Amino acid sequence: MTPLAAAVRAAPILEPTRLALVSGGLVFLLMMTLGLLMKATQAGFLPLEPRAFYEVMTAHGIGMVGTAGLTGVAVLWHFLGRYVELDERVFWAFLASFLSGVVLILGAVFVGGFAAAWTFLYPLPAISGGVWAPETAVVYLAGLALVGTGFLLLHLECARALRARWGGLAHALGWPLLFRGAQDPLPPPAVVAAAAVTVFNLLGLVVGAAVIAISILDIVIPAASLDPLLAKNMIYFFGHVFINATIYMAVIAVYEIIPEYTGRPWTTSRIFVAAWSVLLLFVMAVYPHHLLQDTVMPAWTLAVGQILSYGTAVPLVAVTTLGLLSQLHRSGARLDLPAALLVLGVGGWTAGVMPAWIDGIVAVNKVMHNTLWVPGHFHMYLILGQVAFVWAVLLRLARGRDERGLSASDGIVFWLYLLGGAGLALGFLIAGAASVPRRWAVHDPAWIVHDVPGVLFAVMVLAGAAGFFAKAVPGLLARGAAQARG
Amino acid sequence: MQEVVLAASLLAIALVVVAFVKVLRELGPGERRWSGPEQLSRLRGRILWLSMIAGAALALLTLLPWPHAVPTGPAVVSVAVRASMWAWELDPTRVPVGVPVVFHATSGDVNHGFGVFDPSGKLLFQTQAMPGWVNKVAWTFTEPGRYRVLCLEYCGLVHHGMMAELEVLPRS
Repeated sequence: MTPLAAAVRAAPILEPTRLALVSGGLVFLLMMTLGLLMKATQAGFLPLEPRAFYEVMTAHGIGMVGTAGLTGVAVLWHFLGRYVELDERVFWAFLASFLSGVVLILGAVFVGGFAAAWTFLYPLPAISGGVWAPETAVVYLAGLALVGTGFLLLHLECARALRARWGGLAHALGWPLLFRGAQDPLPPPAVVAAAAVTVFNLLGLVVGAAVIAISILDIVIPAASLDPLLAKNMIYFFGHVFINATIYMAVIAVYEIIPEYTGRPWTTSRIFVAAWSVLLLFVMAVYPHHLLQDTVMPAWTLAVGQILSYGTAVPLVAVTTLGLLSQLHRSGARLDLPAALLVLGVGGWTAGVMPAWIDGIVAVNKVMHNTLWVPGHFHMYLILGQVAFVWAVLLRLARGRDERGLSASDGIVFWLYLLGGAGLALGFLIAGAASVPRRWAVHDPAWIVHDVPGVLFAVMVLAGAAGFFAKAVPGLLARGAAQARG
Repeated sequence: MQEVVLAASLLAIALVVVAFVKVLRELGPGERRWSGPEQLSRLRGRILWLSMIAGAALALLTLLPWPHAVPTGPAVVSVAVRASMWAWELDPTRVPVGVPVVFHATSGDVNHGFGVFDPSGKLLFQTQAMPGWVNKVAWTFTEPGRYRVLCLEYCGLVHHGMMAELEVLPRS
């Protein structure tokens, strides 16, 4: 090992997963600020022009999804590394590819004016109505391809390491226990979850890479046009699988950390394995619920989308939510800030899934799709779910476990974040029920009543998140310095 | 519809909150013997069965008849809807009240969302307007008046300005 590599290893702040979590936390703060700018514009407090609004909207969307991915894999890598041998060089390669992609994406949005939203729905990137150049769209899509390549590398390494340790992905998924009733040694919950996410996110990334490549070809060679319905299917398959993977990776922290507080082991049971296996299939098969208003789709695919929207909520509640409540009940656990955030994460995720699956009912979707109902549910399960998990892990790495529980200042930032996040998400849901469309730079005067409270709640979320970050970073720096010295 | 959906969602969220608050209020003191796995197994079993029965009933109730079914016959009025950046073309722009109307939506450039709002601003129905494909959606208007058409799929710089009007005429 070179002296530089030894120094990097000795300083935990520079361990790749910690670096990813710290930079992810910082980007979350920046992206939340962009979200606040949009809400303030819709409320009439800021004079952001539509062109700037839609650029900010595109950056906010791709920034949040990308950072959820970055922090999700950091959590996955950190805890999976307890059970398998992972090659750290792959994580550095992932970071390099990810950051190169981010540079291209930021350039396309803020220099080239690209504003096709993060979902790059074909053929909008290529047909902008003269707002951005086709070359700009190519730069954005190439940036996405680089980010995706990083995730692909990382999951391939996870798959390799899981196979090497457990003798195959089926064993890492716990299938011998599921189908034969016994397995020795049993894969811990973190390994089962990591194996499932690795499988479905790899498939999602391959489909995403294909549609990105075809979208680029379509711009470079206009004669090579793609069927818009096929493109829509591919984009939503990739997008749905990817954003779900960010949550399923982050939830591994709950399985690993909560038992330390309750003193009760979180073991792999047959129902746990069955739930994750069902989830593996459902996460991929459910994506047509994003196309419920495309009536040209075969009716059975939309019916399956509706039924599986409900079906995916069941394993979550049966395994993770009930598992956590059972862990906590009369455990005598004293919850500090990281543990409280993990509990909030499971609660917020479960609560956010409720309006999401209801929106997956075809008849409901007819009046809720693409209204503010949609950001209502995803802000709930991201702010109060995935992102809460990430703050928990960051704080846990920075401060360790605090036997005294929540301090007064911990309580303030926790409640600011919780009430702000809940208020913001519920405000979106209420606005969606009042038929306010999503992704509009300019709101009718009648809709502003929904936007004004949203500004206040967004400020509260941002203040709470900044509090978490401020509490975590000094701890990480001090620990890094101490470890480097001795 | 929207009010029922909001109420049902808030109720489901409230149930989740109540479950968490109840458990967090009973955190301590710790039990010597943890009966969690047995209790959990029984509770899981009940919840799984209940949710499967509820899910099947919900699927039957909401999927039959098929929500996207489109009526046919001489009494049906057809409206051609063509979207393009950033305007709607509707033909005709006037339809009668009390008669099934089928909208045939397509696009000349990118994806748009054809959403029809009643005079009070409530979204009645929608479908996607997609290049190369024609999505059909049916509606029977019960009140005459001026209805607004707004774009519900983000389509670029003037997405929020993409509006049209549909007039529903009273019975003559």
